[in-house]
Amino acid sequence: MLSIDPTRTDLCEEFKRQPAGRHSADLHRLLDLMRWGYARGKTIILCTVPHKEWRLAKMGPRRGSKVQVDNSRVFHDHDDAVWACFRARWKEMTGRDCPVE
Amino acid sequence: MSERLLAYTDKLSAKPGDLIQVKVSSPHSGKYRARLVRMICGDDSADGPGFKTEPVKGVAESEHAARFQPVPLGSYAAIKDRKGFALASFSLAAFIWPTRLDKGEAQCILGNWDAANASGYALYLDAQGRIALRVGESAPVTLEAPLLSRHWYRVAASFDAKSGRVTLAAHRQLPYAGNPQRQIARGKAAASTAANRFLIAAWNDGAKVTAHFNGKIDSPAVYAKAQPIEALLLPPGSRGALTPRQAVAAWDFARDIPGTAVIDRGPKRRNGQTVNLPTRAMTGWNWNGTEMNWVHKPEHYGAIHFHDDDLYDCGWETDFTLRLPKTLKSGIYCLHLTQGDLEEWTPLFVTPPKGKATAKLAFLVPTASYLAYANHQMSTSWHFDELSSSRFTTFSQADLYMEEAGSLGLSTYDLHNDGSGVCHSSYLRPILNMRPKTDLWQFNADTHITDWLEAKKLPYDIITDEELERDGVAALKRYACVITGTHPEYYSERMLDGVQDYTNHGGRLMYLGANGFYWRIAWHPKLPGVIEHRRSEDGMRAWWTETGESYMEFTGEYSGLWRRNGRPPNMLAGVGFSAQGFDVASWFDRMPGSNDPRAAFIFKGVGQNERIGDFGSVGGGAAGWELDRADAALGTPPHALILATANEFPASYHWVKEEFNHSHSAVNGDTCPMVKADLVFFETPKGGAVFSASSISWAGSLAHNGYDNNVSRITENVVRRFLEAKPL
Repeated sequence: MLSIDPTRTDLCEEFKRQPAGRHSADLHRLLDLMRWGYARGKTIILCTVPHKEWRLAKMGPRRGSKVQVDNSRVFHDHDDAVWACFRARWKEMTGRDCPVE
Repeated sequence: MSERLLAYTDKLSAKPGDLIQVKVSSPHSGKYRARLVRMICGDDSADGPGFKTEPVKGVAESEHAARFQPVPLGSYAAIKDRKGFALASFSLAAFIWPTRLDKGEAQCILGNWDAANASGYALYLDAQGRIALRVGESAPVTLEAPLLSRHWYRVAASFDAKSGRVTLAAHRQLPYAGNPQRQIARGKAAASTAANRFLIAAWNDGAKVTAHFNGKIDSPAVYAKAQPIEALLLPPGSRGALTPRQAVAAWDFARDIPGTAVIDRGPKRRNGQTVNLPTRAMTGWNWNGTEMNWVHKPEHYGAIHFHDDDLYDCGWETDFTLRLPKTLKSGIYCLHLTQGDLEEWTPLFVTPPKGKATAKLAFLVPTASYLAYANHQMSTSWHFDELSSSRFTTFSQADLYMEEAGSLGLSTYDLHNDGSGVCHSSYLRPILNMRPKTDLWQFNADTHITDWLEAKKLPYDIITDEELERDGVAALKRYACVITGTHPEYYSERMLDGVQDYTNHGGRLMYLGANGFYWRIAWHPKLPGVIEHRRSEDGMRAWWTETGESYMEFTGEYSGLWRRNGRPPNMLAGVGFSAQGFDVASWFDRMPGSNDPRAAFIFKGVGQNERIGDFGSVGGGAAGWELDRADAALGTPPHALILATANEFPASYHWVKEEFNHSHSAVNGDTCPMVKADLVFFETPKGGAVFSASSISWAGSLAHNGYDNNVSRITENVVRRFLEAKPL
């Protein structure tokens, strides 16, 4: 029940098409699971240039520790960064790569 | 760590001719430049009206030497007298309720220990969460087992200089099977009679203060001899216990709860002061539920909760002063500081000269609400932040700085490092989210209103919550019309009375936002620039008060929702908080009330079937983020007109929790009919009126299509009519 079905590529495609707004009930449930609990320890998004540039990152173990920034990819569209964050969370939760590129 | 140029001023609100002290910290030496600009619009996004400032005549650009100034996080109490505590033999006792035993660093309960030269003495929690005593250079004496978090303990230590004998004990209030209620340890030490500062909840490190305690301390006391440990462990006032008259000092934190004094009941009156506003009016070791209000039984509220991240006043040196020209027009201004690639925008709200109005319209800037959100770190305080916002955590550069720096002082939305809620917020520190070029929330979203007023050439004065708190209705009554910000959420009783008196006596209020007039706060009666809030009982709470701790220390008033204090927002604004969501915004559809002849002036130039605000730079619509609805049962006046309603919201919008008494699943935009916003108008006594937009994102639609759109038209129709003398 409280897990992501890794075969549901349709939900990945739905999120990629429309990251915000009205979602199907199954995608809503999936996103609730992805967003449950503290963000510390999970992949987050860091805006590196306001309105122009984003990267993925992870917070350290507590306030006052350095944020680990993934400099291997730079996103110039916010939706691209959100999609990359979704894919990273998918892997963190299922142990598998997100089936949709 | 990321770098920032940081600044704050001694005043947030000022009037022409005032002298402003500017306090700056830079990570680099060298010079920075400073100029004052009038802020028109702080939204620098591509979707908004554009970033707009105006130069200020009469204030020269200046250059100053840059220097670093530290942020002194952590609260404690400092006792003025030193010599009285320079004791060869002594005993220490207190009740404690520790909250951060996993910190991994020492946390001092009381003493005059100085870590810089290993002198004096201290009773403290060691890095493993065990009670310990150290005296001078001697090795600490330590109890065997760590304490339990959030449990009351009586802790005590005695030291006899002649024999060198140390006795140390902790007695937990609650008995548990298999976990000894009392621990005692004995050891040896050599006396140290240095006259260092005596501190409670921290110790000295030379001139610095470190080893901040996290948790509550109640009834700390110092005695001059090595008293029997059994006597020290007895609660004060019980048979056989030591009395304040026998003490070097015995502080009673139940005295002067609204203030910063810590009062010694001992014969020498060795009083002290708290620093950085630890939380007072906290339930003490003897609180038993017989009283919820500390005013009625202060003897049950003898605890202070200290935190290692409390901050009231950075206490920075003044870098330069700025004399505001006597002719300076009322408005929002910013000090713009630049040093190489670093820049800082520090806002200053300039009112008209005292006792004067320079326009018929006032923009009531919700500075109390700005403070409530100041430097919030919700994404690390809340386990539900992403579920509430329906977004993955997205850090701005300011968020990154605060996360890596630890904090610049928290907001009332946050949890302290020990998990307890933050009750205080002040402006005597840099506030990174009360700046232009930030998220469109509070300050920066409110510049959509100043931008629109300028675009429509509507002269306005600035009045802030501080003037409203100080002067009540007198701050508003010179104006034909008062416009609020997008989210005037936090109100003291005096502020609420002021606005209510204004509308009851012919004033015209335009509430251009939502979730306003919602939480009850208090301004400190003596300390400048600080508010208190306790998240009691109900509402969309960032955290909740511990049982018995819902009455504010500043005033003794019950905090929480105004709705739970008998004054729902509907009574003032005709609407009250109904729902929130933060991924997309929606639009309003006209309702029958919009065709009432009383509302004809509002809809002049708006088509019968037009969607209102299906555009905008905040979520893409005029109905979004937080929403209000009308409800006669909550005080919406019977003659109020519901002009338009927005009710097309996805499941990411959530009904406010104070409206449902039992859990069920039909509480979101897909399933709950209460997830909606009502645009409302009604007349008030003596020719006044109220117009409520009921949506935080309303102002984000004003500039759409070169200010030519139906949100702008409705707003302009209302404001121009509200500025006319003719009664409504």
